[in-house]
Amino acid sequence: MHSTRLLAATSSVLIAASFAFADTAAAQSASESDFSKRLDQLASELAKVKAELAQLQQQQRTAAAAAPAPGTATAAAAAAPAPAPAVPVSTALGSGLLNGPATVLTSYGEINYNRPTNDSKNTVADMRRFVLGYQHRFDEKTKVVTELEVEHAVSSSSDRGEVEVEQAYLERQVARQYAVRAGLFLMPSGLLNENHEPTAFYGVERNFVETAIIPSTWREGGIQIVGTYDNGVTAQAGITTGFDLNKWDATSTEGAQSPLGSIHQELQLANARDLSVFGALNWRGVPGLLLGGSIFTGGATHGQSANSSHVTLWDVHVRYQPGRWDFSGVYARGTISNTPAFNAPLVGSTTLIPKSFDGWYTQAAYKLWSNDQYSLAPFVRWEQFNTARSFADLGAGLTPDAARTERVATIGANFNIGSGIVVKADLQRFRQNPDANRFDLGLGWSF
Amino acid sequence: MRVVLAGAIATAALTPASAFAVDYMNADQAARLMFPDADRFESRPVVLDADALQTLDAQGVRARSARWPVKLARRGDQTLGYVVSDEVVGKFELISYAVGIGLDGAVRQIEVLSYRESHGGEIRLPAWRRQFVGKTAASTLRVGDDIANISGATLSCTHVTEGVKRIVAVVALAKKTGLFE
Repeated sequence: MHSTRLLAATSSVLIAASFAFADTAAAQSASESDFSKRLDQLASELAKVKAELAQLQQQQRTAAAAAPAPGTATAAAAAAPAPAPAVPVSTALGSGLLNGPATVLTSYGEINYNRPTNDSKNTVADMRRFVLGYQHRFDEKTKVVTELEVEHAVSSSSDRGEVEVEQAYLERQVARQYAVRAGLFLMPSGLLNENHEPTAFYGVERNFVETAIIPSTWREGGIQIVGTYDNGVTAQAGITTGFDLNKWDATSTEGAQSPLGSIHQELQLANARDLSVFGALNWRGVPGLLLGGSIFTGGATHGQSANSSHVTLWDVHVRYQPGRWDFSGVYARGTISNTPAFNAPLVGSTTLIPKSFDGWYTQAAYKLWSNDQYSLAPFVRWEQFNTARSFADLGAGLTPDAARTERVATIGANFNIGSGIVVKADLQRFRQNPDANRFDLGLGWSF
Repeated sequence: MRVVLAGAIATAALTPASAFAVDYMNADQAARLMFPDADRFESRPVVLDADALQTLDAQGVRARSARWPVKLARRGDQTLGYVVSDEVVGKFELISYAVGIGLDGAVRQIEVLSYRESHGGEIRLPAWRRQFVGKTAASTLRVGDDIANISGATLSCTHVTEGVKRIVAVVALAKKTGLFE
């Protein structure tokens, strides 16, 4: 339309010029024949402009017919499937969408039902997690990723729920292979911690090794660099906040359930004089295979105790997904140094600080049935874990015995609806504590 | 049912905006990589009508879009194959990729043009992309069946695989209709 307007304007100018020319001619008393000749010339030029205008309008109509709605295009192309112009190799081929939205809302949730088979009075149904998050891209290289979580549905002074910021980090791609991430982020430990949505793991509850030993959902505040290499290796390394041993509560059993879960800080007014370092390597060079490991270590007393202590946690993990099979295994081990200095005043209390704790599991799942909408994957998992594998020597009669290793067998199935909804069911048998045997049902989603 | 070529002008004018989180190559470079013998790439966008969309749906393929920017790899008066560039959502962000298909309808190569997610960039590794070579419209093309997953990048793997399945089916249908002759 722009060129049409230009032509129309040009015509107006020509017409105006003709009148101006006529005035001038009269003023100069030009002969009538000269005047008539000039008028003919102008009329001829006007006709020429009109023809050009019509031609341009026709071209525009043709272009419009070639491009828009499928229906129109179908008709036009069917009537005259004119050979497409060759596109030189140097011209971009192009693609439809260019940027995508800058801000994306995400969510996941889990509603679980746990029925102890030998102790049904303790059956519980729980909105385990409800998470809302967003990712916002500031520019093509910088984004912020957040997750806000409510556990157990209601959070107030008289309820047991919690509201937590689970992730809130900024990430900037600084080079083709390197990104820098800073803020509150998930630690790259084990298989589950960074991929903890209910659609990403088998079984209603997260496995014990990656809750009791690796305290998922484990996050720290800090900065890390992420390198992704062409050989399939992803390397992560960073400096973060760490655990706070001053929080150890010897009168509670929480430390026996998850030693690090009881002293994690989650960037909640975290004591941060002592920082920790971590590194993780993961290799995905063969389709379906992941081999990896991680290590984290750092001070945990922050100058608030007469003695200092370090917490170290490391793991190795593997996942192999050939065809319909999905095998995985994790071994994780943690240690806390210089525990006698902290345990000596606590002797006789319920839970002393362990020197070491560890666990492993192996799991096999098989996609038994699937169609475009649904898939059913039964699985079995065997795990052994010990949250107090050893205690440092406190002297004869004072040193607690190591805890007994719990062994848990889980059998169940995930039923996936589309790619974002999962219904789960499983049975869990505990060798050490049969009272904990249970039947679980779960509903989860993630997008 | 009608599958037709759309006017080429509009699509040929589209140029990738480029410069995303990590751009590995543009669609041109991918096309040349897939068909190094081609001396030019001709734009042959395909438009699917309702019947064509239903035909694909019956094959378990959701075409998603009625317009497909197919390019013919040409050398002299010979057609060497087809290249389609597309984008799918990974977990949060768009993944740009291109699929090269031979005259036999089998995938010749796929290339990841841009990847923007924090995790799962391994889908661009040759070993993962090689799994698609030789796949046709008759192949299952499903993660966890004939395409292995990448742990931690399940959504990216799934959506790219669905995208390739769509493209292979669209090209096969257009070819069957005689559009590229």
